[in-house]
Amino acid sequence: MTTSRSSDIALERKGVNTTRRNFLKNMSLVGGGLVVGLPVTGCANVLLPNAHESVLQPNALLQITSDNVVNFYLPRSEMGQGIYTGLTTIVGEELDLDPQQINVINAGLHEDYKNTEFKLQVTGGSNSIRTHFLPLRHLAANARLVIRQAAAQQLNLNLADIQTDNGKIMIKGKALDYGEFADYANTLPFPEDAPLKDKHEFKYIGKDNRRLDGVAKATGTAQFGIDVDFEGLCGAALKRCPIMGGTVKSFNDSDAKGMPGVKSIVKIHNGVAVVADHYYQAKNALPKLKIQWNLPKTLSKFSSDSTAADNGKGLFKTALDSDNATNVFEKGDGLTALKHAHTVISAEYWAPYLAHATMEPMNCTAKLADNRLELWVGCQSPELAKNLAAYYAHVPAENIIIHSTFLGGGFGRRSESDFVAEAAAIARASNLPIKLCWSREDDLQNDSYRPASMARFTVSLNKAGLIDSWTVKRAGPQLMPYAIDNVVDGIMPSILPNSLVDWMSKAGYRLYNSLLVDHTSVEGLYEDYDAPHKSSDHVTADPGLPVGAWRSVGHSYSGFFKESMMDEIAALQNQDSVDFRLKHLKNNPKLANVLKVAAEKAAWNKGLPKGHYQGVAVHASFSSFVAQIAQVSVVNNQLFVHRVVCAIDCGLAINPGIVKAQMESGIIDGLSAALYGEITLQDGVVQQSNYHDYPALRIHKSPEIDVVIIDSDEAPTGVGEPGLPPIAAAVANAIFAATGTRLRSLPLKLEG
Amino acid sequence: MISFELNGKTTEVTVAPDTALLWVVRDHLKLKGSKFGCGMGLCGACSMLIDGESTRTCVLPMAAIQGRKVTTIEGIGTPDMLSTLQSAWVEASVAQCGYCQSGQLVSATALLRKNSNPSDNEIDEAMSGNICRCGTYPNIKKAIKQAAKDLGEDSGQLQMVAYFDPNSIQQEA
Ligand code: FES
Ligand code: FES
Repeated sequence: MTTSRSSDIALERKGVNTTRRNFLKNMSLVGGGLVVGLPVTGCANVLLPNAHESVLQPNALLQITSDNVVNFYLPRSEMGQGIYTGLTTIVGEELDLDPQQINVINAGLHEDYKNTEFKLQVTGGSNSIRTHFLPLRHLAANARLVIRQAAAQQLNLNLADIQTDNGKIMIKGKALDYGEFADYANTLPFPEDAPLKDKHEFKYIGKDNRRLDGVAKATGTAQFGIDVDFEGLCGAALKRCPIMGGTVKSFNDSDAKGMPGVKSIVKIHNGVAVVADHYYQAKNALPKLKIQWNLPKTLSKFSSDSTAADNGKGLFKTALDSDNATNVFEKGDGLTALKHAHTVISAEYWAPYLAHATMEPMNCTAKLADNRLELWVGCQSPELAKNLAAYYAHVPAENIIIHSTFLGGGFGRRSESDFVAEAAAIARASNLPIKLCWSREDDLQNDSYRPASMARFTVSLNKAGLIDSWTVKRAGPQLMPYAIDNVVDGIMPSILPNSLVDWMSKAGYRLYNSLLVDHTSVEGLYEDYDAPHKSSDHVTADPGLPVGAWRSVGHSYSGFFKESMMDEIAALQNQDSVDFRLKHLKNNPKLANVLKVAAEKAAWNKGLPKGHYQGVAVHASFSSFVAQIAQVSVVNNQLFVHRVVCAIDCGLAINPGIVKAQMESGIIDGLSAALYGEITLQDGVVQQSNYHDYPALRIHKSPEIDVVIIDSDEAPTGVGEPGLPPIAAAVANAIFAATGTRLRSLPLKLEG
Repeated sequence: MISFELNGKTTEVTVAPDTALLWVVRDHLKLKGSKFGCGMGLCGACSMLIDGESTRTCVLPMAAIQGRKVTTIEGIGTPDMLSTLQSAWVEASVAQCGYCQSGQLVSATALLRKNSNPSDNEIDEAMSGNICRCGTYPNIKKAIKQAAKDLGEDSGQLQMVAYFDPNSIQQEA
């Protein structure tokens, strides 16, 4: 940031109100100047890591200091999806300042950073851009206006004469930094209604800007949670029960104690932790621990062996066959329609448990002193993390400070706070400042997995070959009961004794599961296509393996199920897959449009190289619409995905480069799942342990990807997740085109 | 005591000889650019140049690097002095979460050292040891090709840092 004091302009200035200034100095962020937030809900009693020590703690999103540094306190977590750049671009646009000039700071935790949709400070649901688009524009436009007003008053000019250009106040051809007027602006009433720019005036939104975190990430200087370090910080590793949910019955640490660097060995709620000078020493000592476990009852009995009748897929199949289902959606009268149907087509699909396998293993640094807990962590949900840490460290929630870092991948995994709870518990038990780091094995075997799911469709067609009724039933675990466990632990402890909280969280699971259906269980199974009669049911089948949000949540399997089913119907009717879909998208014009655009771009079924075949899939999720066409070849039962064409309608694309990258990311992540991803259990123990048996797509298997972004004037919608749901079906449908074999289970396995 | 050259500087450490280089660099020498991803030589997040070759250091014992030349991402370029490859990387906005990126850049640097104009297949081959869970592969290819072009036009350098002063690092949070 350069500061250019333009002293050559001899203009008389009014002084700054010093009383107000002193007051602000007491409450404001380091650096002072103009400090503005959104919405200002008052001063919550939460410590901000970036604030001066004082009674009053300000919220701030945007700060323009008198030495002309523009700080944007990023209220969401950057995990690759690009909001570090995206939200800053929105701010820069209305502030009239190149986003590259804005200093972005990963903000801590504050009431005013709550996600307006989740009512918690959470990054997820692909909603960061969508929910911030207007509020941040208003904030920045108002900030620009108040700077102009300050300049007008201080320089005795008309407001209309004060224009701006890239962070400068322009007066008679001279340029003055915004910062020159920041202190004065802070004494003025903050405007509420500055007009917003028109789309055609945008300088940064919709343009191809470089990512703002690009330099830090290309030089190894971006700080992730795992990189946090300070004098005296110890490394911690935790041995957990091989079956999730187990607890320590007894342990013997005499062999581990003598291992190099070991400082402390402590038992916590879910295992035994070794604290050492360095993490690798703690990790090396873990195998020396001898632990007897109390095994969880249900999960210990579960194996994924799909040949056994009463377990594995059998559990899901039995649930599907049962009459216990809860109806989630009903339109028309499907049963009667079925009776009169001309043709009825039925099929069942399967998607396994999946791990997130973020590149950066889970980790959290915790320092407990004087009843105050400081946490350094990259997480999607700092608010839950704080509450959970309070519970496990026995510290009042208001005495917790969270320092946010970059996240080495999220995909939903870091919306859980189990690793934060562990770090807090270890810091408390060992009385040492610790950084808990998970190994890859810990990560793959202690996840909140994408729930395994089985679905059965029964679809009837009328004489004209159009869909008359669409019925689908899904069996699998639900997310919400597991989330309740954590939420109850996290939110209740300040008022209730721990034993009661534990009881409530377990009762919450039972209560929830028997009464309610979490919409993510069935989302995406029935919405997209036209049908006079529709119905969707859910039935819980849950062996007890913890589940959580996995990139695109329910859509991650429903996209595969629904789009495979649609392809089956088209094929059985001898209809073209694109045409057949279009006939059923009359009420879904945006999805129809992306399909047409993708088909055109991919030259659907026209002039493919010999041996190449195409498959198509479309899916709407997170308010966005995506079509994908995969081009594959199958030689000697070896599948190769050569090319994927993707069209997305996500409203106005703030950073088209990032939208494109997120489509590529969703496709590649989705291909890892479609081709390899499968978590299996043997007597409750997760069988996969590292990237050799839980592979991720590598560069040589990565297809050529063409992305088309639909030009739109509408408000922006999600991009972090919607690119994933269609890809598995697009590939499976292409395999059908190539081989005539319909693969109804993920991962896609060609028999050979 | 084990002695080796780290980013142009002779470095001596006293650690158990079976300690992996990655942990010595990250935890003892406090260079955090190289990452831990799998600990089994499977993901490439921990890649460093050892005598010019991209090497998985999470499984490389210190005993094996006595007297050798080690270059980490910090020794390739800095925010103020980006290597040509790093510039191309920034220009193409390759990084997403960024966690795998040091390893990717190390492998790509090793590739361009040996092959100034790699084909798609050669890029695939050289980079297939580095997993990116965010799927930045399309942009990685783009950046490598751009850097190869820039280097071919003689307008760049693969390594900007001859001697790296560990005290100079500032992490961006
Ligand atoms: S951490 Fe070394 S290869 Fe994965
Ligand atoms: S950028 Fe996230 S793993 Fe590669």
